[in-house]
Amino acid sequence: MELKPIIEVKDLHFSYKKHQVLAGVDLELYRGEVVSLLGPNGCGKSTLIKLILKLLHGEGEIKIASKEIEKYSHKDIASHVAYIPQYNNTPFNYTVLEMVVMGRVAKLDFFALPSASDYEMANIALKKIDIEHLSNRAFGQLSGGQKQMVLLARAIAQEVNVFIMDEPVAGLDYGNQIRLLELINELSAQGYTFLKTTHYPDHALLVSSRVVVMNGGKIIAEGTPYEVITSKMIESVYDIKADIITHDAHKRCVPIFKK
Amino acid sequence: MRHKKHGRYLIASTLLLMAAAIFSLLWGQYHIGMETFFEYLNYKLFATSVIDQGTLALIDNIILEIRLPRVLLAILIGAALSTSGAVFQAMFVNPLVSPGILGVLAGASFGAACGMLISEHWIIVQILAFIFGFISVGFAVLIGSMVTSSRSTVMLVLGGVISGSLFTSLLSIIKYVADPYSTLPAIVYWLMGSLSMANLNEVFLVAIPISISIAGMIFMSKYFDLMSLGDEEAKALGVNVKFIRIIAIVLATLASSLSVVMAGIIGWVGLIIPHIIRMAVGPSHRLLIPLSAIAGGAFLLLADAVSRLALSVEIPIGILTSLIGIPIFIIVLKNARAAWN
Repeated sequence: MELKPIIEVKDLHFSYKKHQVLAGVDLELYRGEVVSLLGPNGCGKSTLIKLILKLLHGEGEIKIASKEIEKYSHKDIASHVAYIPQYNNTPFNYTVLEMVVMGRVAKLDFFALPSASDYEMANIALKKIDIEHLSNRAFGQLSGGQKQMVLLARAIAQEVNVFIMDEPVAGLDYGNQIRLLELINELSAQGYTFLKTTHYPDHALLVSSRVVVMNGGKIIAEGTPYEVITSKMIESVYDIKADIITHDAHKRCVPIFKK
Repeated sequence: MRHKKHGRYLIASTLLLMAAAIFSLLWGQYHIGMETFFEYLNYKLFATSVIDQGTLALIDNIILEIRLPRVLLAILIGAALSTSGAVFQAMFVNPLVSPGILGVLAGASFGAACGMLISEHWIIVQILAFIFGFISVGFAVLIGSMVTSSRSTVMLVLGGVISGSLFTSLLSIIKYVADPYSTLPAIVYWLMGSLSMANLNEVFLVAIPISISIAGMIFMSKYFDLMSLGDEEAKALGVNVKFIRIIAIVLATLASSLSVVMAGIIGWVGLIIPHIIRMAVGPSHRLLIPLSAIAGGAFLLLADAVSRLALSVEIPIGILTSLIGIPIFIIVLKNARAAWN
């Protein structure tokens, strides 16, 4: 039986005013994968994610579960894919539980309010990533890492298997970056699929089953992390020198200063 | 457990509102005692009473003709302004906006004054108030977005200030051309905000659209939590952002414009009540919207009681809500600022 991609992007173009951001992107995401989108600022990673989520409209074909996204409402998309944005503060300081319950809204009828079972699902999601103790804390008062975990719990409460993350470790301290990557690894082992953008080749080496490198609005390399992340690729994309070394049977990217 | 907690808040606030309503019905230049009031209720419900018919007729007149319309109108307008304020704050992800700050009240008052000038039909006044209330929000948003492409708390407030000033100036033109002996004093007194012109028929007429608007905002409240996270996040969580925003703004503008038609400009209620409720029970709109409606009604009832009883002459309620609202808002600003950043 042929394996069908959960997300399919074909010949995608997008321009912002006269500036071309994406120039013919093809991408497929299969169940169980952890795909890291790597590339310099402005290469079109975040734009690609927003186009897949129908937050922007471009030219080309995007399918989720074999159906074109133009035929989906936002509610339909939210029942297939969860979006975990870079954490941002809302002026209204919801509790963690309230934030997680928001993931249930796509499951509800227009006038229905979240029921006891929705709160139960939110609690299960919090428990799943070990942050149920934060349940009654104000979201705005959490650390960046905790906020990102709450958004992950919200995605779990959404009861979908595909998570799209936009620079999940941006703004986090080193410890929280690594803890979040470990969590992505654990969730991936439980069967969740991830498409995430990252600025860190090292993170892509640590947690990816496949790496897609973008530059100038195009995909320039694609494959397993060890195949794709090479000294040559780092130099051509980021214009810096780096060594790819092996430590404890795992590859690591070590940047080299010019002088 | 959460549902029980919400239920307790709603029951407690409704009891407070009822107490404020009974207080307003009994207290005034002619004071009605509790005992007399129960006798009156007994007479109305079971047609038996120990009080003489003359006193009953007087109490009947005071309650049904003077105080009940005023009490109902105060509850309706307080509820309308507070829920509209909470909804505008969620829709624009901006805790500093309210029907007053967005220019809705100024726009609606210009529309209503135009209506008064050109027609004697109440419905024309209401429709024009709504149309210009809606135009003023649109204008405020347009100015805010012209200056900066990103969502800016301050720019939207400034857009509202400009929009409000524009319609206040246009209203001045209406005042200038209005008959100085009849229409002008009526417009000026009405604009200061007063509940004294209410009669039961008018209150029931305006109660229908205001109640529908408030009910609509309560039913949509779960979406407001998501919308207050920003458009992208709300869409990704499955919300039809454009549809919800348009419906919510129409409902909030309708409720606050109709309040202007009935009682002139009553400022600050739409700004401070949602903040006070948020500080008391948190920002979740599923509780914030209905509680704002109840607390807004109770607040305006009490403000109206003070406006009637504090001095020998009645103080326009709009002046009073401003005097009460400003210090409360300063306290709210101080406490809430941390949460906004």
